[in-house]
Amino acid sequence: MRRLRLLDFSLASVTAFVYLSLYLPILLVFVLSFFSMRRGRVNWETFSLGWYAKLFKNEALGDALLNSLLVGIAAVLVAMVFATLAAINANSRPSSRSAQFLEYVIFLPFLLPPIITGLSLLIYFREAGIPRGLPTIIVGHAVFVLAIIYRILLTRLNALSRSLVDAAHDLGASNLQTFRYIILPNLRMPLLTSGILAFALSFDETMITLFLTGTDATLPVRLYAMIRVGFTPEINALIALILGFSIILTVALAYAWGRNSGSGGNLIAKTSK
Amino acid sequence: MTAYARMVRPGLADCLLWGAAALFILIPLASFLIFGFFSVVSNSIDYRPTLANFDELLSNSSYRTTFFRTMRMAFLVSATNLVLGYATAYFIWQRPPAWRNLMVIALAIPLLMSYIIKIYAMRGVLGTNGLLNSATMALGIIDEPVSALLFNLTAVRITLSVVLLPFMVLPIYVALERIPASVLHAASDLGASEIQIFARVVLPLSLPGGIVGAMFTFVLASGDFLAPELVGGIEGFTYGRLIFSQFGLAFNWPLGAALSIVLMIVALGVIYAARRFGNPRWQR
Amino acid sequence: MANPETGSPAAADVGLPLLRIRGLGARFGTVEAIKPLDLDVNDGEFLTILGPSGSGKTTLLRTIAGFQPPSAGRIEFDGKDIADLPINRRPFNTVFQDYALFPHMTVRENVGFGLRVRGTAKAQLNDRVDAALGIVGLEEFDARYPSQLSGGQQQRTALARAMICEPRLILLDEPLAALDAALRRQMQNFLKTLQRQSGITFLFVTHDQSEAITMSDRICVMRSGSIEQIGTPRELYYRPKSRFVAAFFGASNIVEPCRIHETRDDATIVETPVGQFRISGPPPDSSSGLALAIRPEALGPEDETRVNTLELEVVAVSFVGSETITELRHRRTSQVFTMKTRSDPAARPPDIGSILNIGFDPAECALVTEAAN
Repeated sequence: MRRLRLLDFSLASVTAFVYLSLYLPILLVFVLSFFSMRRGRVNWETFSLGWYAKLFKNEALGDALLNSLLVGIAAVLVAMVFATLAAINANSRPSSRSAQFLEYVIFLPFLLPPIITGLSLLIYFREAGIPRGLPTIIVGHAVFVLAIIYRILLTRLNALSRSLVDAAHDLGASNLQTFRYIILPNLRMPLLTSGILAFALSFDETMITLFLTGTDATLPVRLYAMIRVGFTPEINALIALILGFSIILTVALAYAWGRNSGSGGNLIAKTSK
Repeated sequence: MTAYARMVRPGLADCLLWGAAALFILIPLASFLIFGFFSVVSNSIDYRPTLANFDELLSNSSYRTTFFRTMRMAFLVSATNLVLGYATAYFIWQRPPAWRNLMVIALAIPLLMSYIIKIYAMRGVLGTNGLLNSATMALGIIDEPVSALLFNLTAVRITLSVVLLPFMVLPIYVALERIPASVLHAASDLGASEIQIFARVVLPLSLPGGIVGAMFTFVLASGDFLAPELVGGIEGFTYGRLIFSQFGLAFNWPLGAALSIVLMIVALGVIYAARRFGNPRWQR
Repeated sequence: MANPETGSPAAADVGLPLLRIRGLGARFGTVEAIKPLDLDVNDGEFLTILGPSGSGKTTLLRTIAGFQPPSAGRIEFDGKDIADLPINRRPFNTVFQDYALFPHMTVRENVGFGLRVRGTAKAQLNDRVDAALGIVGLEEFDARYPSQLSGGQQQRTALARAMICEPRLILLDEPLAALDAALRRQMQNFLKTLQRQSGITFLFVTHDQSEAITMSDRICVMRSGSIEQIGTPRELYYRPKSRFVAAFFGASNIVEPCRIHETRDDATIVETPVGQFRISGPPPDSSSGLALAIRPEALGPEDETRVNTLELEVVAVSFVGSETITELRHRRTSQVFTMKTRSDPAARPPDIGSILNIGFDPAECALVTEAAN
């Protein structure tokens, strides 16, 4: 089809442009973490690891990193417990109105602009007399990542034959045994996958966090403060490190997903439907 | 009712789940909705209900201007990304399977990268000494660096477009991937040309993905305050920033809540529309 | 021949049935899936519940198993009411239509599950799993996962898993539906042999009448939530009580209306629009919508056993291998008949439009009513 070649070419150009626009800025930051720039050009003779050395002496950033890890792990664990219960509830009662409405509620904080989730929790905590701090951030993140974990778990449960639970009961298993031996083993991979994904989301979450932060900042909030004040080149080093971490997370996720079900393309399908 | 349904005690499950949902999702949302009807008197919140915030919102033209400017910007970001995203998703879909997976993962990596960092990186591209200026100068397209690229609404638009692109490409790609090959073969077998197959089969079957992507993009772009804050400067003042500022220096939480109520209504409207049109009858 | 009342060879010398169902009903919302019914399942028998989809057969099985709560009635097992017993305390096991094998467990773990949840000691558990795998011929496959098994092997795993706790009754919900025709026949024989050798009572659900005939000691035919007829395969095949059962077992030639002309000791004479016929046996109790059902293979050229005769015109002849199917028409009433005869390589098929003298045996037809009850 020769007349389609022009079309193919333009599609390829757009695609190249899209990937370039996604990667070029990040690549630039990465380069600038090793080299300095003069008059709009990278000076390739100035390679140094100085910014990295300086970075590791910055205790405030170290604390922020620890806070981020703590918040991420705690939020994911809290959300996992709730999401597991909610997913089993929805899967076992597919025609239940209550479970359907609960699903809408679970999806609200994920679908609404983060600014709304953030400020509604801010107002709520203030009126309840709860001071801002890491616990309030954990709640905010748990509420935000809940929908992702719930959706992935429910997709897995819906794919399981409904008669598995009947079979377990039929063979004499109690409710607890059925959960331990039948449901939980089948949720292991989806829990892992959704856990990594949720952790990555929590690790990056900034807009909700900005509303809920007390004196202990998470890493993105710290970064936000630093960037607003002005450019410090050590940010570039920090950013390069965070990018490396993100890539590791993504690859881990893609690997877990590949083992779990098909290609990485399902990543969004399972969360956006 | 099956045995499985009886495994979960409905009463207990409802109590537990709805209790937690009320405590951490519904009551916070409700309290924010109610807060929009309070006011601030001499730096403390007056809990007597009033419509003053909404009155202010309607009468103060600067709020209106900011609102419509932001919605227009969010719409443009969605429209731009729908075109770019569809072309990219279609191109990926046409590749051999090994390429496809690689390209999809390459799209997912930036999605999981720190949002703040991506915005910061865009500053390096758009700034006076930035990559775009250096490159176009080196190519001889311009003589002087263009400062108009950063710290205005256009910069916000470009930044949001880039940052939100994966949210558009991935759902469209997933929709394309779900089209069975046999359907395309059948269309071809019945005599449809490549263009007819695209217009009559591929496009209608993949557009729901585009609608979902456009919804994500619009909702996220309209409420964003980080990108405007970091690359928008004074000119790039958006509705999200307006809300955020009420919780900072301005300290007018009730007004901030009232402004957010408007944003939430818009967001819910868009989500509802996406559910209706992004979930056509044949898919339900 | 079997006891004409219950049709079960064992019924005469066993006092109580193993499973006694009285007035059992089930409903989904306002829909009555099973109208209150009675059913006895005798110890050691192979009883099949047969019916088209929507007849309530699977609901009946699921209610007995406990997956569905009954809306009314009693279920007694070995003399004890078990209607309120939770599923995991019921003394029998189920083989599911989709097998419901646990995908994350090996064949060994699947089969041993029932013992594991009862806290059976490991050594004893392994011995019993080995024995069960031996019975179903899967010793070699114990380390495989269900996804690595063929349909037949999955089926055997499901059977072994249901047998491991040595239940006296196994419920089977269309277990052969997913298999292809050849494998299905093989599994039918396997199941039947297994049932005979183990002495376990089988309550089997299917929609396939030939499967039911091959395997069962007794068949219970269901239709829209009620039991239409219970009896041995022979009884249902040769003595259907209702049009529905007659049609389900292939007695497709229905002549109506029928009027009873004369009742003798061993036979009934009926008057029909196509002639007067003699039918073996007494007439049915009810006479609402009385009709005469004749199997296609009962029709044939008039001779000394086929004493009921009619003159029929040949409409169409089709050769289907071992059999030849002839469409016939009664000229005056336009009533159509289907005749199935063994194909004869020497004979020339009859000409279309020719008139044949057709007869049928009084023992190979049945008087049926609108409904069995």
